[in-house]
Amino acid sequence: MMSTDVNSTAEMALAEMSKAGFDEAQVSVSVSEQDELNINHNEPSLLRSTEDYAISLTGIVDGRKAAMALTDISPHAIESGIAELIERARIAPRDDANAVSENQVGHFEQGPLAADLDLLALKVEELLHFRSRETPKMQLEEGAASHRISRECVMTSGGSKLGCTVGAYSLSVMGTAIDGDASSSFNYTGGTANDLSQAHASELFAIGEMMRDTEQQIHTRSIPAKFVGDVILAPTAVRDLLGWLLGQLQDFSLIADNSLYKDRVGEQIASDKLTIRSHFDAPGHAPYTGDAFLAPALTLLDAGRLTCLVPSYYASRKTGLPHTPASSGWQIEPGPTERSAMISDIKQGALVNRLSMGSPAANGDFSGVIKNSFYIEGGNLSGALSETMIAGNMANMLGDIVAVSKEHLDQGGTDFPWISVSGLNFS
Amino acid sequence: MSTPFAPAGVDYAESRLHELRKTRMVMVDGNLTANSETTEGGSSARVFEKGYWGFASTPAMDDDAIQKVAKKATENARTMCRFGAQPSLDLPKESHQGEYGYNGRPPISQSEAIDLLESLNAHCREKYPTLKSASFMMQQENHEKRLATSNGSAGLSTINRSAFYIIFSAEDKDGRPVELMEAISGRGNLSDLQLSMDGLEARMDELHGHLMAKCNAVAPRGGKQTVIIAPPLAGMLAHEAMGHPCEADLVLGGAVTGNLVGKPVASELVTMVDLANTYQGEELMIPVYIDDEGTEAKDVTLIDKGILKSFMSSRETAARLGIPATGSARAYTFNDEPLVRMRNTAILPGHSKLEDMIAGVEDGYYLLQTGNGQADSTTEFMFGITLAYEIKNGKIGNAIKDTTVSGTAIDMLKTVDAVSDDMHWECNGYCGKKQPMVVSLGGPALRAQIHLGGE
Repeated sequence: MMSTDVNSTAEMALAEMSKAGFDEAQVSVSVSEQDELNINHNEPSLLRSTEDYAISLTGIVDGRKAAMALTDISPHAIESGIAELIERARIAPRDDANAVSENQVGHFEQGPLAADLDLLALKVEELLHFRSRETPKMQLEEGAASHRISRECVMTSGGSKLGCTVGAYSLSVMGTAIDGDASSSFNYTGGTANDLSQAHASELFAIGEMMRDTEQQIHTRSIPAKFVGDVILAPTAVRDLLGWLLGQLQDFSLIADNSLYKDRVGEQIASDKLTIRSHFDAPGHAPYTGDAFLAPALTLLDAGRLTCLVPSYYASRKTGLPHTPASSGWQIEPGPTERSAMISDIKQGALVNRLSMGSPAANGDFSGVIKNSFYIEGGNLSGALSETMIAGNMANMLGDIVAVSKEHLDQGGTDFPWISVSGLNFS
Repeated sequence: MSTPFAPAGVDYAESRLHELRKTRMVMVDGNLTANSETTEGGSSARVFEKGYWGFASTPAMDDDAIQKVAKKATENARTMCRFGAQPSLDLPKESHQGEYGYNGRPPISQSEAIDLLESLNAHCREKYPTLKSASFMMQQENHEKRLATSNGSAGLSTINRSAFYIIFSAEDKDGRPVELMEAISGRGNLSDLQLSMDGLEARMDELHGHLMAKCNAVAPRGGKQTVIIAPPLAGMLAHEAMGHPCEADLVLGGAVTGNLVGKPVASELVTMVDLANTYQGEELMIPVYIDDEGTEAKDVTLIDKGILKSFMSSRETAARLGIPATGSARAYTFNDEPLVRMRNTAILPGHSKLEDMIAGVEDGYYLLQTGNGQADSTTEFMFGITLAYEIKNGKIGNAIKDTTVSGTAIDMLKTVDAVSDDMHWECNGYCGKKQPMVVSLGGPALRAQIHLGGE
């Protein structure tokens, strides 16, 4: 299946779209294979091998756009799909912001292009031995060691031709620690890398640290009373903060004119301790966007100053805002402070590993339950917490960052440090 | 579609052909930002041999593809034997045969859909001048699966569900954005939702009224509060708080429910079920008659008058726990293996009137809408509240700002002192657990004590 020629299939489909009458078109053809070795209930359980191929067609005629995706990439299916697609496009409302990319060219290769099943099996064995030897109370409900290879070709009628051949390994675990009738909250971690062989499985993506921590979270305490205090967000919780910020800088918020930052490019919107950079060439990733633009490296927040918004090409043309192509994968620059010093500096607060909450309000207000988290009192960790909520505002949190850790956790698509934030309401 | 056939000569095997079609249209302030159709189909096989599973899939549905994945799945199960011998496990052997299609209305045409979206946008511009943004989203998905298992099950099953979302935003007095969403969902195609301008105008008037109230919202008091949980939230609560911890794979993974069968976990007013396909003679939104392991889908009573009764299971988890297989093993796409998933999970109605329940609250909150929710193996849960009002002396007061409610279900459900006599079902959104899944949620209104996030 991996021998499918994605380039010639894309070329053929693009030619067919032009023949059908589209003024502009984009075609993406992808093939992938994945081998995944699964753990269930502390035992190796399942070997899963999947192959996938798909074609995505986007066509514009008279400023009217429609899109379609198919897993059947036979010439007959593509031809039928295009015939249906042009009918759908002709009915759509005209929108002069519709357009495809032009003259974007690049091909990217990285990572292991073949699965090493022996390596996957070794990582599973290492995880299971670590569990039974070091953290026997931890019950691994699910886990997986996997390898995925994908090849893609994206072409547009504007002369763009982008592609990638990317292979990567992933390792993840999820489970609960149990002691008699008592049980922790479930916890999980994992990541993606080009090589899993360089370290023991427990040392990859802080898996061992998570399993040890979870054993400490079986017996929990509540906070003594409501208070206003500080949090240290672990990298897994930092992801929520970044996710909210990106949402503010992307299409929906910008088109609906709900973004808090639409008019604030060039301004200080966060603490000068926070610098966010792209990691578009992270393991398993390729540095181009879904609408076929090369995505050069960028610094999104430079010492707290917002350098750009990241609308798609369509949203940029719709709103008149500058177009900055952004793919997926982000890094936050580590700071000068040791994690232990960040804890020592907190009088009352929590080390938060996971935020369980709904989407923050449009204005950034949020409240959420802190999970897999530890109470901090007088500069010391003092027990795992249960049924504890924090409330605050995401935009304010960006400004209230008091420290960024030296240590960081690289999980592939994200590489984040621990971040200390003041002024959260605990209840 | 070809006919699936399960590999022979192994302890157990299944073969599945699965096609999934999706339609999605999004209009943001009159701009059609998404107008897409997706069709994905393929075949998969799963094999159980000497205590290990092998799975394989490919995006083709002809005989060659079916044979290819059967061979690969068998190889994969045998490859797993490298990890050593496993204790024997006899999977339940029950089989079921049946074909379960759906005859809904003819699909809505694309031009009808676009006309409706444009009319709605124009209506909002004219009628609600203070609205900053109006977005509408239409989604429809249709699953068709053919299954054969080595123990004689054979079936055709279909799941069709549609959802229509209205998202309004405005600005509060400080110029900060305030947003609200209304979702209309149901079984079948978008045409089965019977979306009409008349019906939607009433829904939009109501949503706009709530949004204006939310623009002047006050902060809720954090901490334990008396609340009325409106029916849509009760369905979410049923799903998140007690549904997940009653999935047999989570029980095997250490969920606290494992030690609580036969014990009180809720007020006597609470009965909670995961229904397979039918309630009071009506087919439910996500009707499952035969699951993706070929087991006949059966209703599961999770809580009966406050007592924890039983769990939802697959063939393997049933064997491991020594309970019956309930027909709850489902896969989202052709390249997913079946997992234990909820189907139509609900708290059943009681005998109280909602207005009396509200009148009985001296100082509390009426929680109307949720954004999303999460649960834990400890039954600790949270869900985001996007629309709620104060209750003062039995009367509805000010709207409150977005907040989160949380608690431990087996504590919170014991505080339920009234259950309304009405029932609300919905099936928008996805349940997430390794794979996404379409489920429906049902519930009446509940009055309980719950932990509210706030100042």
